Amino acid sequence: MQRIYKTWMFSLLFAGMSSRAAADDLYFACHTGVPLTAADIRDVFLGEKQFVNNIRLVPVDNVAVQATFLERVLKMNAVKYATTWVKKSFRDGINAPAALANDAAVLEFIIRTPGGCGYLGAKPGNDVSVIGKY
Amino acid sequence: MRPGRAAASAACLLGAYCLCQAASGADNQEDRVTVLEEKLERSLNLIEQLNIRVQELESQLSNAKTAPPAARAEAAATVPAPASAAQTQTRLENVEQQLTQLADTNAARGGGGIGVPLHGFADVGIGNHTANQPGLKGANLGGLDIFLNPQLGEHTRSLFELVFEVSSQGQVLPDLERAQIGYQFSDAATIWVGRFHTPFGYYNTAFHHGQEIATSLRRPRFILFEDQGGVMPAHTVGAWLTGADHLPEGKLTYDVFFGNGQGISAGLVDPRSSGVANGGSTYGGNVGYVFGDMLHGLLSGLKVGVSAFRAHITDDRQIAGVTRVDNAGVYFAYDTDRFEHIGEYYRFKDRDLHGAGFGQRSSAGFLQLAWRLPFATPYVRYERAAFSQNDNYFSLQVDGMSYYRAAMGLRFDLDLRSALKFEFARTKNTDRVISSWTDAMLDYAIRF
Repeated sequence: MQRIYKTWMFSLLFAGMSSRAAADDLYFACHTGVPLTAADIRDVFLGEKQFVNNIRLVPVDNVAVQATFLERVLKMNAVKYATTWVKKSFRDGINAPAALANDAAVLEFIIRTPGGCGYLGAKPGNDVSVIGKY
Repeated sequence: MRPGRAAASAACLLGAYCLCQAASGADNQEDRVTVLEEKLERSLNLIEQLNIRVQELESQLSNAKTAPPAARAEAAATVPAPASAAQTQTRLENVEQQLTQLADTNAARGGGGIGVPLHGFADVGIGNHTANQPGLKGANLGGLDIFLNPQLGEHTRSLFELVFEVSSQGQVLPDLERAQIGYQFSDAATIWVGRFHTPFGYYNTAFHHGQEIATSLRRPRFILFEDQGGVMPAHTVGAWLTGADHLPEGKLTYDVFFGNGQGISAGLVDPRSSGVANGGSTYGGNVGYVFGDMLHGLLSGLKVGVSAFRAHITDDRQIAGVTRVDNAGVYFAYDTDRFEHIGEYYRFKDRDLHGAGFGQRSSAGFLQLAWRLPFATPYVRYERAAFSQNDNYFSLQVDGMSYYRAAMGLRFDLDLRSALKFEFARTKNTDRVISSWTDAMLDYAIRF
């Protein structure tokens, strides 16, 4: 009986860990044909990289998972992110990424916009290029 | 293992697998539910609007029945025929499509809103001296800074900064501080033409006229803007090539510029925004290195660099002179989540081109240390300027005297767009007219 109990406990723990990992996955995707690498993502979202092969990059923020993205990929908090963009905007005359509500809006934008890039909480389909997973 | 126990274990693992699948699938389900909820919300709003419209029409109809025949005929002429449900649906779909296209277009521009984003800064202060006019005290208006950066296309960029300042006489003076139109070839090269912040050192291009963006209550005195008494040519009217090249362990930045030679007019540096009748030019450059994640990120956020410029400065004396100003400087900035440390040091070697041929040497620098704590950002700053009073460039400027200043301050970020700053400082002018004073100031700065 005790062994079955242990197996159940192990199974539940395994399930919990697996479902948490699935919920926390973050996918960075771009319009098909945008040749970016995972190492470029930080520069793209901080306005340091605006072109790749003469394609103008158009990053968009995903409000639903922005906090996770900032913490995990950019390694900064929301205040620092906003401040960085304010300084960047007023020095270089460029605007911060537009903020879209959720995965569906970001995905639709990436598919429609050449150079469009964004991050998603769920794995996107084959109609966009997945650059990295975090 | 007995068969029964093995079956139980297998059932457990199968159950766990199902839970995993359900959990990962739940995300997709959740997104769909969110989308459906939004659609439902829109539909409810539409029903509500239609109800209101029906009530209005019923009310008009009942009024028409009670009205005399002539008025009834007039009312019938003005009330449009109700559209069918299919027509309404088609119109709504068209509007929705147009809104989607509009949102996409704006997002593609990076604006994230409708039209040209309008930004602004403003600040007000109070103290025993005002921030930049030690002869005045009490409450004062810092300025209203209107900032526009319309995104005109894939490569064309623009940036305009219009500031309304209050002079020491209380007059409100508009000043087009920056007006730049540029073409961005790539990340490595953008050419700007117009009036821009002269790219010497770090501070002058990192911070602008809106005080909210800066940690400290005021700029270092010798790099104040010209109309505030700054002795450096903070603005240049000309052309500016700037860019950055990504290296494996960091980033190399560069600036090259040339423009109208500034003048000294009524004791202040004048960028000559409308052009020069007679006078020389100014030109220079700046090279910096931004460290990446080398040494386990220890140097991440650090920028170091050197800059230099040469300017031919005319003045407004009866027999106008020309001073050739040669400036070279080094700087660093360490900007992280926890710290903002900035240091700059400049050497001048100026020569009166119509007078004695000896170069006049001067120097100026500052060091500012700031700590970003959870509740506030305390900072300290020390400034020192030793300006030769035999150098026409400094002696003709109202605030061209040597000085030192030690300051300490505290910045409270009340929210993301407003800050309250306190500063205590001791300043001493060390030549021309020796004097000293202590400042205690408060500044409330916002951006929008």
